[in-house]
Amino acid sequence: MPVAVELKGVSKRFSRGPRTRTLVDAVLGWPRRLMRRRSEDGLLEHEFWALRDLSFQLEKGAMLGVIGPNGSGKSTLLKLLFRILRPETGQVTTVGRVGGLIELGAGFHPYLSGRENVFINGAILGLRQREIRQRYDSIVDFSGLREFMDMPVKNYSSGMYARLAFAVAAHAEVDVLLVDEVLAVGDASFQMKCYDWMARRRKQGVTIVCVSHNMYVINSASRCLFLADGEKQLEDDPPRAIERYLETVQARGEASLHMFTEAVGGQPRAEILRVELLDGQGNELKTLEHDSTLLIRFHYLIREELECPILALTLQPDDARFPVQVPSHYFFHVASGTLLKHRGQPGEGVVEVEVPQVRLPVGTHRVNLYCFNGSMTHPIWVKEGATRIEVLRPIWSDRLSLMDHRQQWRVLAPEQQR
Amino acid sequence: MLADVKETWRYRELIVALAMREVRVRYKHALLGIGWAVIMPLVLMLVFTEIFSRVASISTGGIPYPLFAYTGLLAWQLHANIIQGASRCLSDNSNLVTKVYFPRQVLPASVVLSALVDFAVAALLLAGLMAVHRVTPGWQVAFVPLVLALQLSLASGLALFVSAANLFYRDVQFILQVGVQLWMFASSVLYPLPSQGVFAWVNLLNPMTPILDAWRYTLLGAPAPRPESLAAAAGLSLLTLVLGWAWFRRAEARFGELA
Repeated sequence: MPVAVELKGVSKRFSRGPRTRTLVDAVLGWPRRLMRRRSEDGLLEHEFWALRDLSFQLEKGAMLGVIGPNGSGKSTLLKLLFRILRPETGQVTTVGRVGGLIELGAGFHPYLSGRENVFINGAILGLRQREIRQRYDSIVDFSGLREFMDMPVKNYSSGMYARLAFAVAAHAEVDVLLVDEVLAVGDASFQMKCYDWMARRRKQGVTIVCVSHNMYVINSASRCLFLADGEKQLEDDPPRAIERYLETVQARGEASLHMFTEAVGGQPRAEILRVELLDGQGNELKTLEHDSTLLIRFHYLIREELECPILALTLQPDDARFPVQVPSHYFFHVASGTLLKHRGQPGEGVVEVEVPQVRLPVGTHRVNLYCFNGSMTHPIWVKEGATRIEVLRPIWSDRLSLMDHRQQWRVLAPEQQR
Repeated sequence: MLADVKETWRYRELIVALAMREVRVRYKHALLGIGWAVIMPLVLMLVFTEIFSRVASISTGGIPYPLFAYTGLLAWQLHANIIQGASRCLSDNSNLVTKVYFPRQVLPASVVLSALVDFAVAALLLAGLMAVHRVTPGWQVAFVPLVLALQLSLASGLALFVSAANLFYRDVQFILQVGVQLWMFASSVLYPLPSQGVFAWVNLLNPMTPILDAWRYTLLGAPAPRPESLAAAAGLSLLTLVLGWAWFRRAEARFGELA
């Protein structure tokens, strides 16, 4: 396979100081600048290497996932590939048209209508006006914003903005596609649409370099590059690179796989004794059909009086490589809120929550249980991976949104408020 | 440089799109819309007509003063709009410069184009004024494209220079506001400059005076600028373009960090 992207000994230096000076500073600072010397590793004061001696090759049609903690040089790498930045040393080679989803809607002007912005943004992404006219309908359909095309984009919601911007970007023709964390902006269904589109592009032979904290996406890459402090730690198959990355990250304590890692010591003031997962008719579930009703029944115990007990449950895709660093609210979650506000006295109780039309990614999910008191910042009791449930049948539909599950809570016992 | 020209040409549609965006945004919520392109030179022309008819009288070589002044202001406005617009074009579009790749000269080029749109609109009024004063251009009008090209090469060279310079030092755009104003008074925008004595040298160093005189020569039939000043202006303008281009190319590598 021909090589589509190649880096040879690429280094990029940045300054921590202010980026632009005034002329006065320039004139006054002149003698000092003549005096200064670069240190042994080629740095001036306030400078650091954002990338150091990085080399790799990527074949046409391959996908490179790039992972690493914040500040490890991932975005710098993308900008070098995109020719926004030039390296201090080394050589960056890309074959064919390079396009990026580095920032969606760069060049959108708030006062102009969606339609006008489509044409300008398309031109920025390298499309001819004729090509944009040909694809205009397709772009509008993709964005799903047909009624809003004459509205100035300043009146768009951020979701609409992202959808339109992505629709334009998706219609640009590229040979090498650079994807940054842009996709983190939209809701879950929008993200899935983006990833879906990326997968299709890859089948068409587009070479992809993708920076993501979403290990699901990284895992689908053909190679994975793990960066830390601007240096290559590892380039390997995604599962192995991800494993190393997670070890490093957890050792550094920068991210955790779970919502709450620390065990809550001592005798908990409350706990969930048992949880039943039932279907709409009250039968116990081991598997859950997409779009069906889920009934969750909590049996709990309060030991010491609480101001406002809150019971919560999340369903987390049971895949160690799923969304590390993806906020847990991307998981399915229910919480009892103020339901038990005046029921904080010691004793046992039962509550249930009915969730119609559950939409979840297919696969096994871990059930995580939490008890809180008053606010949901610090749990007083945690049990993660309490049980598992299998979600059948796909999966991501257009209407899918993990955030929008309706939930109806009911108190079953004790019947009377004590 | 030839490769650069080719690459810029490949992005011509982006230049047009950005220039149109600029023009649209500028006039979208303005009551008079693109009429503002006319108002600025018109008002200045009226003010100075008033001043020079009451306070001081100047000889404009038989050309009605309003025509003399408006022609000068029209050409100067184009020049000033390009330089001042260019000084901000990279820093104002930092979201583009730091996020998307395209040849960076597209941005100053679109400034030149959008200034030309204003120029074209304001030129319509000149045609009207000429009709009112019954001035018809002679055969010299055939040289108008040449004069325009000369002025644009000077302005484009400066545009390339100041757009990059403003990324390094943001003072540049403010210095230019003063500088362009001073330059206007040192050029034959509102009054003819004598071509003898110290001004012979000033006019040799300031390409704008021969260029403005050339505008009046081609459009209004005023006396032609002295050939040596015009030749110096042409040389300086082309030199500015080449140097501006070279400087822009050199500075370009750091745009992504500075914008």
